[in-house]
Amino acid sequence: MTVDQHIPSPSGSLRPSGLCAGYVPPSTVFDEMEERDGSVRPHWNMFINLLDDLGPAELGRRWETAKQLIHDNGVTYNVYGDPAGMDRPWNLDAIPILFGADEWTRIESALTQRAKLLDLIIADIYGPQRLLHEGLLPPELVYAHPGFLRPLHGVQVPGNRWLHVYAVDIGRSADGQLWAMGDRVQAPSGAGYTLENRIVISRALPDVFRDCRVQRLATFFRTMRDTLRAMAPHNRDNPRIVLLTPGPYNETYFEHAYLARYLGYTLVEGGDLTVRDNAVYLKTLGGLQQVDVIVRRQDDDFCDPLELRQDSSLGVPGLVQAVHAGNVAVTNALGSGMLETPALMGFLPSLCRYFLNEDLKLPSVGSFWCGEATACQHVLANLHRMVIKPTFPGTGMGLVFGDSLTQQRLDELRTRILTCPRDFVGEEQITLSTAPVLVGDRVEPRHVVLRSHLVASADSYSVMPGGLTRFSARADSMIVSMQRGGGSKDTWVLSGGPIDTFSLLQPAGQSIELNRSGGDLPSRVADNLYWLGRYMDRAESLARLARGILARLADQNLENSPELQLLFASVTRDAVKDETEDQQRHPEQRLASILFNDKYPQGLQSTLASIYRLASLVRDRISIDTWRIINRFDRDFPPAGAYGVQINEILPALDRLIITFAAFGGLAMESMTRGYAWRFLDMGRRVERSLSLLALFRATLTTSIEREAPLLEAVLEIADSAMTYRRRYLSTLQAAPVLDLLLADESNPRSVAFQLARLAEHVEQLPRTASAARRSPEERILLRMLTGVRLMDVQQETQLGPDNHRDRLDQMLIALTGDTYALSDSISQSYLSHAVASRQLGLDRPISGALPGGGGGV
Amino acid sequence: MPQYRIRHLTRYRYDEPVSVCHNLAHLLPRQSPRHFWSYADVDISPTPAIRSERLDFFGNRLTLFAMQEPHRELEVLAKGIVNLDPPAGSSGGTATDLFGGITNWSWNQVRDFLTNNPRGDDLDAFQFLFESPYVRSFQDVHAYAESSFSINRPILEAVTELTRRIHADFIYDTKATTVSSTLPEIMKARRGVCQDFAHLQVGCLRSMGLAARYVSGYLLTAPPPGKPKLIGADASHAWISVYVPNMGWLDFDPTNDCIPSDKHITMAWGRDYGDVSPLRGVILGGGKHIVDVSVDVTTL
Repeated sequence: MTVDQHIPSPSGSLRPSGLCAGYVPPSTVFDEMEERDGSVRPHWNMFINLLDDLGPAELGRRWETAKQLIHDNGVTYNVYGDPAGMDRPWNLDAIPILFGADEWTRIESALTQRAKLLDLIIADIYGPQRLLHEGLLPPELVYAHPGFLRPLHGVQVPGNRWLHVYAVDIGRSADGQLWAMGDRVQAPSGAGYTLENRIVISRALPDVFRDCRVQRLATFFRTMRDTLRAMAPHNRDNPRIVLLTPGPYNETYFEHAYLARYLGYTLVEGGDLTVRDNAVYLKTLGGLQQVDVIVRRQDDDFCDPLELRQDSSLGVPGLVQAVHAGNVAVTNALGSGMLETPALMGFLPSLCRYFLNEDLKLPSVGSFWCGEATACQHVLANLHRMVIKPTFPGTGMGLVFGDSLTQQRLDELRTRILTCPRDFVGEEQITLSTAPVLVGDRVEPRHVVLRSHLVASADSYSVMPGGLTRFSARADSMIVSMQRGGGSKDTWVLSGGPIDTFSLLQPAGQSIELNRSGGDLPSRVADNLYWLGRYMDRAESLARLARGILARLADQNLENSPELQLLFASVTRDAVKDETEDQQRHPEQRLASILFNDKYPQGLQSTLASIYRLASLVRDRISIDTWRIINRFDRDFPPAGAYGVQINEILPALDRLIITFAAFGGLAMESMTRGYAWRFLDMGRRVERSLSLLALFRATLTTSIEREAPLLEAVLEIADSAMTYRRRYLSTLQAAPVLDLLLADESNPRSVAFQLARLAEHVEQLPRTASAARRSPEERILLRMLTGVRLMDVQQETQLGPDNHRDRLDQMLIALTGDTYALSDSISQSYLSHAVASRQLGLDRPISGALPGGGGGV
Repeated sequence: MPQYRIRHLTRYRYDEPVSVCHNLAHLLPRQSPRHFWSYADVDISPTPAIRSERLDFFGNRLTLFAMQEPHRELEVLAKGIVNLDPPAGSSGGTATDLFGGITNWSWNQVRDFLTNNPRGDDLDAFQFLFESPYVRSFQDVHAYAESSFSINRPILEAVTELTRRIHADFIYDTKATTVSSTLPEIMKARRGVCQDFAHLQVGCLRSMGLAARYVSGYLLTAPPPGKPKLIGADASHAWISVYVPNMGWLDFDPTNDCIPSDKHITMAWGRDYGDVSPLRGVILGGGKHIVDVSVDVTTL
């Protein structure tokens, strides 16, 4: 396949001007934008003109906004072993790569053929194995492949279709030829990132995007939804489809959450699913709900610890048997991952003729499986210019570039290959084409690879008009990898005809059954939301307390201010172990270390980190806007080191943080539907707020000090109730009315009583298994607490005992605190503790010893 | 024709209730030459919520079952009666007697034959040439195996000697290894049980380029001289099979240095223990658990 012949554009041979004026691709490679003679390829003309009309300044300005959008949307890619943290921001280039309509039509046809072929191959391997019996495929590639999952052999999959989603990496060599460089079927990532890239670029360049007549991506995802729905063995009108992720430590977890939300599927981990009666169920708060289709984003051998890898903690015990029983469909079918072996590539041309009676339209890069003697000789003779790959996964060997090895290393590699040739594949390196990438305020060439996505349609495959283009980190590097610091581009396929502006976000034509339950909340997600709520409020309480102290430290001395000492003690009481060291330091420094030291688990920094971690676990459950708020934490409150101990720097940061918390609370109140997700988030907040209020009262109000007014004022301020108090009591500050307002007044949203009343409402609405006539343990605890608070006589409780201590109040606060912890435990017990890991039973091993009379000679 | 009754009881007891368990058993006998089963069944207690059976990739009978109610104990009892039609020789006979003929194949001819475009039965044997989850690191056993495989040596002679050497060089010891011991560990310990010796010999044969499989079954044992045979004193057994073109699969027992004939009862075979473990499962809950196994093989 070659690109269109160069047709001079109407305006003659257009040379890049403006932004691209200084663009000089290497002369030995194919450049996607420029012809060899330096003129712009025709299908780029319009784009370059529009970009130049925009001007570099405007492009730069828009690009800054776009980068902010990427940050705010929290687009990340986990880099294994990156000490700087697991989420690395997504690197997207401002300039898309363009494909003309004619060339794309040929690419589409070639990719469709390849997908069909791979589907036929894998169906044969798990079925009749004609390819092995007729000698068309070396049996090692099946029998020696650890990804050949024997328990799946002979299984009937819906429509005998094994591949539903498929991705292929495509590169272009110097002569313009396109080559397949790798097939992705295990968990083909990239479609979600492609979508996100498109959203960012089309927002940054809306006019350019429109005028270039770029084909839209949404139709592809509609086909995906239709295909997955049609796979459901039962309940085809409204099947339950889940996206199975290995979890947030996976490199593409962002995409799993993103796609689940975009497609409207439940994001689950293996532990959220259980097999009952040979069918798969999702564990939700409302009970078990049957799952019809699993879109898996984890390797197939990890999917069932009973029949597949027994060391997998990610799987669903019994899944294979559920698939055999036909009660659930899994995509891509379990077992299909073995198609990714690079050894297969060399056999595709003959297999294509065998199955389809056609020539393979998209050639693979020159690929030589060393299990064949002649291929092995070729690889060994050309080792210095080959890429050596492992035939089978799990060997611990990555790619080896022959041209980067010393003679000694080459010899070692040669010996390794000769020891077990079938374990190695040699691939020819192609000099990848280049495309312009925005670097600072100019464009530079970088090598590119396109990951193209396909999805099964009725009896064929549909190609996404676009894809994830990745580029190398440097102009002189052919290594194109997000793991190694490269970047990505949006891919524009220009249209010859009308543009289909269908959007998945718009209502579709046919009406669906109305459903308001939302009872599909997995218990694990409820657990995460509950703790997200708790940490949110813990951070807010801490920020308010710290602000109250810091504001006073500015004009008061700790030594001669008893109320400050009490407040200070309430913050630092958990940090006892550093006491000796801390005593030497200024109060501000000690406070700052509690706020900023991420080694201190009760500190603000650690709490914010927990919020970020929990929020990323429930990404598919929280809105984009909420994400943006959570992403502001690191802007509002950068980690320690960025800060000195200057009060004038900390205070504004705390102010901003408290406003951000208010924004979060407001969004949760205003835009979350009153389902279980909201209830658990809110219960977490209420429980935590009760606990921090009770702790504040115990630290400040149980012992009376001489001048109590400044202390009471501080408590009111920290509890955000100073205004209400002043309106009611003007300026008379006394313990009894303060306690009434903060403890007993159910109309004050900052009072303990208010939290308890809200909690009582929540627990009443939670699903329950026992008969409804009896109160649940949570209801009973809350009833006891609320009754106690309602019956409380504030005047009496605040009376001072002999040693200036309010014993009765202290007892009551202790009891309330204990009950709040009991309530939290009870909620966890009843609703959240399903996340128990399953374990392997101990194995009996054959240990039989001797035959009668001992061994006989053979 | 000797007739045996087999009784294989596995009992798990848990400290805390198990809410769900999924199990997989190879406790029903497969079709195999010279074995005639008049009866075979598996009783499970408590009664499983669901029970299914299918043939696995190797043609073994696989029983799958699941409990979905809390339980503190699981009992699986496999019972069977089998008539064995042994070849002309009996335990202690020579390979020629027991396999009913001789083969002129040298081990290296077998090796070369298998890798050269195998079809049919040979293709089926081909899959037993490779590493498998319990039989890895061929390089660690290759040197040990090699001395029995001088070039052009007849394959039966070579495998017979390897069987004898393993029996002589390795001490039977139930404490030295575990169910998941690897080949290097077994080589280092020079001790083990039948499972280890079978894995070891399978590894040796595969490291030489021969197709070898792991056979799971039972063995008729005798009590110590002068003592009565105790109930439940037996155990499940394991040995190996090696493939010779035109003759098929030939069994060898490295634990007893013999060729299985009239006292070895075949239940299942696969690449290694992992393919044919008699019973395994995944549980939710349960705390600590203990497992008791008792096996009885009696002559009828």
